[in-house]
Amino acid sequence: MKIKTLVPLLAMLCFSIPLIAQNKSNVNFGKVSIRDFSLDNVKVDTSYGAVVLADVGKSVFVGNKKGYFSLVYKHQRRVLILNPKGFDIATVNIPLYKSRTDDREETLLDLKATTYNSVDGKVIETKLDKDNVFKEVISKTGTLRKFTLPSVKEGSIIEYSYTIESDFLFNLQPWKFQGSYPRLWSEYELLLPEFFEYVFLSKGYHPFHIKDVKEKFESFYIRVEPSLAAGVMASANTVALSSNSSLSRWVMKDVPAIREESFTSSIDNHISQIEFQASGRKFPDMPRTDIMGNWTSLANDLLKRPDFGAELRSDNKWLEETLQNLDLNGKDSVTKAKIIYDFVRKNYSSLGNNGIYISQTPRETFRTKKGYVADLNMLLTIMLLKAGLDAEPVILSTRSNGLPTDTYPLINQYNYHISKFFVGNEKFYLDASSRSLGFGKLKSYCYNGAGVGISLFTSKEELYPEATTEKKVTNVIMINGQDKNKWTASFSSYLGYNESTNIRDEVAEKGEAAFAEKIKKSYTGEWSASEVKMDDIEATEKPIRMNYMLEVDRGDDDNNIIYFNPILKEGLKENYFKSMERSYPVELPYKMDETFLFQLQIPDGYVIDELPKSAKVSLNETDGSFEYLISKSATDVTLRTRLHLENTLFLPEDYETLREFFDYVVKKHAEQIVFKKK
Amino acid sequence: MQNKLCLKRNNMKTILSLILLVNFTNNNVVAQQYAASQLPTSLTEKASTVVRFNEEKIIIKNPGNAIVKRKYAYTILNASGDKHANFVVHYDKLSPVSDITGTLYDGNGNKIRSLKKNEVKDYSNTSEISLVDDNRVKVHNFNHSLYPYTVEYEYEEEMKGIFYLPGWVPIFDENVAVEKSNFIVEAPADYVLRYKEFNLQKTGPQITDFKNNKSYSWELKNTPAVIDEIYSAPRTEITPSVLLAPASYEIQKYSGTMNNWKEFGLFMNQLNFNRDQLPANVKQTVHQLTHQLTNEKDKVAILYRYLQKNTRYISIQLGLGGWQTLDANFVATNGYGDCKALTNYMYSLLKEAGIKSMYSLIKAGEGQNSFVSDFSSNQFNHVILCVPQPKDTIWLECTSQTLQPGYLSGFTSNRPVLLIDENGGTLARTPNYAADVNLQIRNITAGINEEGLLTASIKTKYQAEQQDGLYGLLKQGSQSNITEHVKTKFRIAPSYDVNKFTHDIGMNQLPYIDESIEVTARSYASVSGKRMFITPNITSVSSIKISDAATRKYDFNLSFAFTDYDTVKITIPAGYTPESMPSAVSVKMPLAEYRSAVKVEASQIIYTRYYKQTTGSIKAADINIAAQFFDKIYKADRARIVFVIDTNE
Repeated sequence: MKIKTLVPLLAMLCFSIPLIAQNKSNVNFGKVSIRDFSLDNVKVDTSYGAVVLADVGKSVFVGNKKGYFSLVYKHQRRVLILNPKGFDIATVNIPLYKSRTDDREETLLDLKATTYNSVDGKVIETKLDKDNVFKEVISKTGTLRKFTLPSVKEGSIIEYSYTIESDFLFNLQPWKFQGSYPRLWSEYELLLPEFFEYVFLSKGYHPFHIKDVKEKFESFYIRVEPSLAAGVMASANTVALSSNSSLSRWVMKDVPAIREESFTSSIDNHISQIEFQASGRKFPDMPRTDIMGNWTSLANDLLKRPDFGAELRSDNKWLEETLQNLDLNGKDSVTKAKIIYDFVRKNYSSLGNNGIYISQTPRETFRTKKGYVADLNMLLTIMLLKAGLDAEPVILSTRSNGLPTDTYPLINQYNYHISKFFVGNEKFYLDASSRSLGFGKLKSYCYNGAGVGISLFTSKEELYPEATTEKKVTNVIMINGQDKNKWTASFSSYLGYNESTNIRDEVAEKGEAAFAEKIKKSYTGEWSASEVKMDDIEATEKPIRMNYMLEVDRGDDDNNIIYFNPILKEGLKENYFKSMERSYPVELPYKMDETFLFQLQIPDGYVIDELPKSAKVSLNETDGSFEYLISKSATDVTLRTRLHLENTLFLPEDYETLREFFDYVVKKHAEQIVFKKK
Repeated sequence: MQNKLCLKRNNMKTILSLILLVNFTNNNVVAQQYAASQLPTSLTEKASTVVRFNEEKIIIKNPGNAIVKRKYAYTILNASGDKHANFVVHYDKLSPVSDITGTLYDGNGNKIRSLKKNEVKDYSNTSEISLVDDNRVKVHNFNHSLYPYTVEYEYEEEMKGIFYLPGWVPIFDENVAVEKSNFIVEAPADYVLRYKEFNLQKTGPQITDFKNNKSYSWELKNTPAVIDEIYSAPRTEITPSVLLAPASYEIQKYSGTMNNWKEFGLFMNQLNFNRDQLPANVKQTVHQLTHQLTNEKDKVAILYRYLQKNTRYISIQLGLGGWQTLDANFVATNGYGDCKALTNYMYSLLKEAGIKSMYSLIKAGEGQNSFVSDFSSNQFNHVILCVPQPKDTIWLECTSQTLQPGYLSGFTSNRPVLLIDENGGTLARTPNYAADVNLQIRNITAGINEEGLLTASIKTKYQAEQQDGLYGLLKQGSQSNITEHVKTKFRIAPSYDVNKFTHDIGMNQLPYIDESIEVTARSYASVSGKRMFITPNITSVSSIKISDAATRKYDFNLSFAFTDYDTVKITIPAGYTPESMPSAVSVKMPLAEYRSAVKVEASQIIYTRYYKQTTGSIKAADINIAAQFFDKIYKADRARIVFVIDTNE
């Protein structure tokens, strides 16, 4: 019978393993012993010079004395500093929010910071002197408290904690599980009474060690001052409210440091983190108040706001004379839209991007001839409407601003404002804030997941990086002239649109002559370029066509053998992807399609001794392809090579393949034709 | 890294940017003069901005107070001049700014609009390296972009204390032409104004007397724009400029003189007086650490290590804190400070151990450095410590937790330094690390297979200033920063993988780093059919090109002395024989020389390269010598060997 009892016991043991798994951080805040100064068996990279031993945050709602609720956020952190590389983490900035309209501000309470050093087997404490905490005003809505811990040296443990009390319930503190130093334990708790609804948004790739929710029953005491209380109350009154509350807890363990790598649109897309957006409120016996709304209510609100769409449907009589002068009568819709777009683009100065809202009335923008991106594009939309065309504002999030989620109508995710003109089934996205842009074109930073069209309804505008292709076609014809040591070629290239835009910006700044000079200087040694000509610099909706003549001077040597790279200077000389590994996806701003066509007359007196081999490879079947097709006839050599990337996002597991693919491209681009004397 | 500038940034301002101005009455008359069409082509040529007029006036009331007034109008001709339309003025509690006005005019000189008070933005200008300081900045921009246009600004700054005086650099950027620029100083007749002029056509200010005052004025008119040239001297050395300094001055409760470096030093003593008091426990530690040592050098080394272990660099500069050190007790208590505080702390530690050292002011920064030795004035931005020895004086950079005692990096080496002791200041020079000690010695042993795959073991010794950057990275960077550096430091096409690497840091007379990196590079050699193309110079490829030789105006300066040696041995697959070989190259010019040679023995390529340069300059007229020299290197470094396999075998 003994055996029988053993079996359930073993089973129990097996089951209990998950229960034994670490449920709490090993750190006991406020108590440091000599043992704490050594790091054993950690699973993170210690070479950053500091390791966060525990980072613990908690947000709770409490009843306040002003008749409502406040948020109380407590943050505790302990760090082991291994060497001077980690000293930066000992300087701390705490941002506090401040109301723009009145003097209400978040308050910092209970700031404590202590450095612990191990000296001759004893723990020596040095506390932060409050006189060394500084305040810095950052903006109209924010200040910083700054301090650095005292007596920090190699091997120090630093620990600090503080509490922020906030009346701004929308500012429920987000939590980053990951940062520029590795973290052994990162934990966040949120006690949320059922009165308040938030949506939780999380990002990143590191798995949760713990993620659970417990129900709790909580009471909240709200004190209402006599002046605020309804007339029946003579004195201050405390109201008790009870609620089912949820206590959420998220823990990540052994979180590696994250720092920005190349080809990243925004590092924030990849940091493991959780943030919150208020979506609604519901008190007992009262109807639910919606805060977040839905896409339609968001559109309606925006259309009413004076700093957004209030003027869209106005009469806007002040535009009449200008529109008349633009002479639109009798023209088709697209032509009309182009004329208006050019008018705004060419006559108005951009102050840069300042978010989706306008900073002044469209009329003021019209008068001063300048404004932020939103101002100029709002004026454009209004002018299009006034001319009887169909147009609406579109808001989007630029690449560096991070990927928007379209699951919830979260207006704060968007930071850029353009205009959409549509006729029949065709639509054109317009941005009048850049002189180098053309009708229906956007800068590559606008292609970052969906934008949102704002009219009576919202529409999803598919502005994905995959939607644009940087397409370039270059054609070179080379002839060996009278002088057998001088070969000449005509070079002609339809550049990609983004490259064209960049050149237009540069030409606007430095002039066309300076740019032509730069091209000439890019040819050195035996090469020289002349007659540089750029077509369609002004026609900003088209790519630029670059033309010039090339000459190769082979000197006076009587060459028995000539080695010649048919791709000239246009080849890819180095791999874009130099790093051997990648910890998060590669994000490219657009697809790529580059074709290079080359024709060469075989020089008199020579024969071809060797040609590179033709080749064709693909990247992950459909992600991209590369071809290098070369052939010869009795008199000529022709080459066609094309590099095509059909995808803009490559996961870390595809990185090695991507890198090898580009290695191969570089290798083929380096190959030579060998001519030998007859 | 140890490049921390921690003296007040106002010094920089005196030399690099412009601060000032004047009372104007004839606004309307001026406005019509802004028509861009009236500008002669001599001024618009090469220009993106034309200074229509610039009036900078310093009214010195007494040795402790001055008003700086400035008014200017710039016509912006194209987008690259937009940066000059930014109005930026730095200020702090000792130099408040007031009365900012501004007006925008179109290309015909017609007024478009005026600045509104609330458009002037005011920001904290706390630098990245600073925890806190009181630097602030006022900024404005009309953001106009229909060219040409003209901006006109006027403002006033008060100087509460005159420890420095702003200078005049009328040609403050490339592509800037000057129609008229005036610099005026008004001071009481008995006030001694010190000045130093550079590159002026007419030397000496025009001096006029009125009432009990004297006025000094300089003027520059109708001067065409210049274009920056690579490897030329700093702009202040090649275009007209005037430096000013007070003879005697007051600031806060201090007063002093700076007629010579001795006096300048005496004032620093006054500012830092009695700030060397250590708490008892630190005094005790000093004795514990040093009492058994007999050699002074050993004592210095152990106390420097103590400093490095127990302090770190944090900058706090409030009020006079830009020039005055925090006391030694503060550093002892908090374990941090800026360059002044840490140097003063080290000074105090040494003093407690009975060792004399000198607080030393310096103008730090990599590369070229223009310091005017014969004009005693506040030109410094950093402090180091000098410990005089009978032989081989010891220099200590006190803001670094990692530097070897006695070694100064390229940040502070080879330049004037003001040593301060009880007798005042004395100008000396920091050690110079010359071409024969700033070494990079590289040996590569490599093999290439039939597919063109390169496998190479790259061993490099970096010494003295050639190891500064890498040293900083090894000491400050994370492992991933270091790995990233190793994986991207060479330009081996198309890309390369690092299989293993090590760094050994060492110190003989000078610091060195031995680096060993093992790499593989797919398709390093280009193989097509029966041929193989190999560039034997795998890593040391020069990219210097002097493309402005035809139009060069200024001398060509080399500011870093070093020597590189490369030896590369590459084993190639059997059966290949050279079809085309680059010939040996040996070129020289006055400041540099280069040699490279390659041979093939059996199946091995042996390549050697030598490059040495010293500091100095080459006359603009001789620029072709340098241009040709670097062209030859450019080409030789990229030369290939073509091998062909004997297919009959």
